Amino acid sequence: MFDLENVAALAVAAVLTGGLYATMSYGLALVYGVMKIINLSHAATMMLGAFVVLQLNRTFHLDPILGSIVILPLFFLAGMGLYRVAVRRVADVPIASLLLLFGTWLVAQNAAYIIWGSEDQSILTSYTYSTVDVFGLNVAVTRIIPFVLSLVMLGVMRWFLGSTDLGRAIRAVSQDRTAARLAGIWAERTSMVAFGIGTMLSAFAGGMLTLIFSFTPDFGGVFQLKSFAIIVLGGLESFTGVAIGALVLSGVEQFSILIPGWRASLVNLLGFGLLVIALVVLPGGLASLAARRGRKAAE
Amino acid sequence: MRAARILRDPYLVAIVLAGLAALYPIVRPDDLTTLGLGFLTFIFITQAVSWNIVGGFAGQISFGFAAFFGTGAYITAILWSRYGWDPVLTLPVAGAGAMVVALLVGLPVFRLQAQYFSIATIGVGEAARVIAINLDSVTGGASGLTLPFNIPDKSWFYWAGLTLATVTFLVAAWIRRHRFGLALFALRMDQSAAESLGVPTAIFKNLAHVVAAFFVGVAAGLYVVYLSYAHPDQVFGFDLSIGMVLMNVIGGIGTLWGPVLGALVYFPIRQIMLADPRLIAVNLLVFGMLLILIVLFEPGGILGLLSRLGLVARTGVRLRSSGTPRDVDRGVIVE
Repeated sequence: MFDLENVAALAVAAVLTGGLYATMSYGLALVYGVMKIINLSHAATMMLGAFVVLQLNRTFHLDPILGSIVILPLFFLAGMGLYRVAVRRVADVPIASLLLLFGTWLVAQNAAYIIWGSEDQSILTSYTYSTVDVFGLNVAVTRIIPFVLSLVMLGVMRWFLGSTDLGRAIRAVSQDRTAARLAGIWAERTSMVAFGIGTMLSAFAGGMLTLIFSFTPDFGGVFQLKSFAIIVLGGLESFTGVAIGALVLSGVEQFSILIPGWRASLVNLLGFGLLVIALVVLPGGLASLAARRGRKAAE
Repeated sequence: MRAARILRDPYLVAIVLAGLAALYPIVRPDDLTTLGLGFLTFIFITQAVSWNIVGGFAGQISFGFAAFFGTGAYITAILWSRYGWDPVLTLPVAGAGAMVVALLVGLPVFRLQAQYFSIATIGVGEAARVIAINLDSVTGGASGLTLPFNIPDKSWFYWAGLTLATVTFLVAAWIRRHRFGLALFALRMDQSAAESLGVPTAIFKNLAHVVAAFFVGVAAGLYVVYLSYAHPDQVFGFDLSIGMVLMNVIGGIGTLWGPVLGALVYFPIRQIMLADPRLIAVNLLVFGMLLILIVLFEPGGILGLLSRLGLVARTGVRLRSSGTPRDVDRGVIVE
């Protein structure tokens, strides 16, 4: 069981899934950075992304990969709309915004139950079962494509945040909202754009996840928890931190099957387990978390 | 004036209302449907009032209370069906078991600030459910546990539920007026300020959590005895946790009577909706929308609406602004 090829295959799978996890979590980290709220509608957006891609595939036979890209503007606008109509009003009250976004999740999830039913859905494509040879290992195409696209997406984000005015405004607001406003940044509009981008990224991740997993209207919840574990592991806001957190979680998940007596149904507990471990034995992460909250409270 | 003052004494009002409610099985002992519904209503009131001690008084919104309900339910189920205990004797053990779980959860998770606490508790509830399904030698796994059928009659359950709900309410009312409750209010409004004034916030949050878990655990024990059946998806279900949040938001989070009112609104609607399998999704859709509307327009819930109309005095904590609770105005803290 512990032979080298097996371990190598698991490592490759861990890296590939990690890329997708990073994209999935990055939207949550971005919204947290700018607004200091945890976006509980992240789960809803991932799920809706997956179902819209499914619907496009059923109606127009659109490939799920293309579908995930086509839906980006839609979810960007939807995210900005949600911010403008509702989130804006409670953005400075953590508990109210949490409950509001939780309500959004409940509504979206149950609307999806009514529209698409509770059966397990999956999208089959011509390449669902094909594999390619990478350094002598058979790797599924459905793992490679999301990984590559996630890297592209994260690259675009990195460029956007580093080299455009709007992106730099987002970073400035994340660092210090008051100082950013004093420097003439329209923090409100910046928050709206950041919420739109966050929503778009989680819908994209949801669309990509359809290549690998089957899904029901419930499926966002599990991945939301994973995203949260990832951003806590990674220090909540940092780009590199999210990538590392994603790799750690996907690594632990992949290698868990080597544990004797392990059951596949327990795999979704690992994210939560990591979260608790991070909280108990990594006080460094906690200290930075407390410092950020202190800064927010001082405003 | 005197009447108004009497109405403001929560202990007295609660005991009088409970006394009146206790007459129903004597007047109509054969109305089994109402007695059953009454029992379930009391179970929901108990859950909502307990949740409010942590979510309302201390401001730590938890989405994981189903973990305590499930623990209590299985402790009673197992002691009763496998070890032949009298169901009533299992109830304190169910409560104690839920307290242990609350402590195990609270010690790491309360190290997080309020928002992160909330997200982490979603994980707590889910983890508890998955563990319960996988511990199939203990819990019966996905097929559930069928329990003995020799249970007391409905009037007994009605009275037992009523007693539990009343005791829970009285304890919550006592906490709210006592220094402990004021400390919870303080840490809810500004944790750093509370700490700098000497409130041991970590200990108090855990204490509130443990007290709330006890009553939820006992309620769960009664509930499985009533149903004679326990299943992980049912007693550990996420919808239980959601329900506790919803009842409080609907009635008025952080107030004394809010969770009671919320339960009286939430439970009948839920019961009607769940009777028809096609309406299960509609049920949470409606409550999700209600949650959004309440947060946006009347964060005080029903009590907030009533006080806006001038029908009741404003109490509790508003979601939006960190207003001063009335007890503080009245000078209960002198030191």
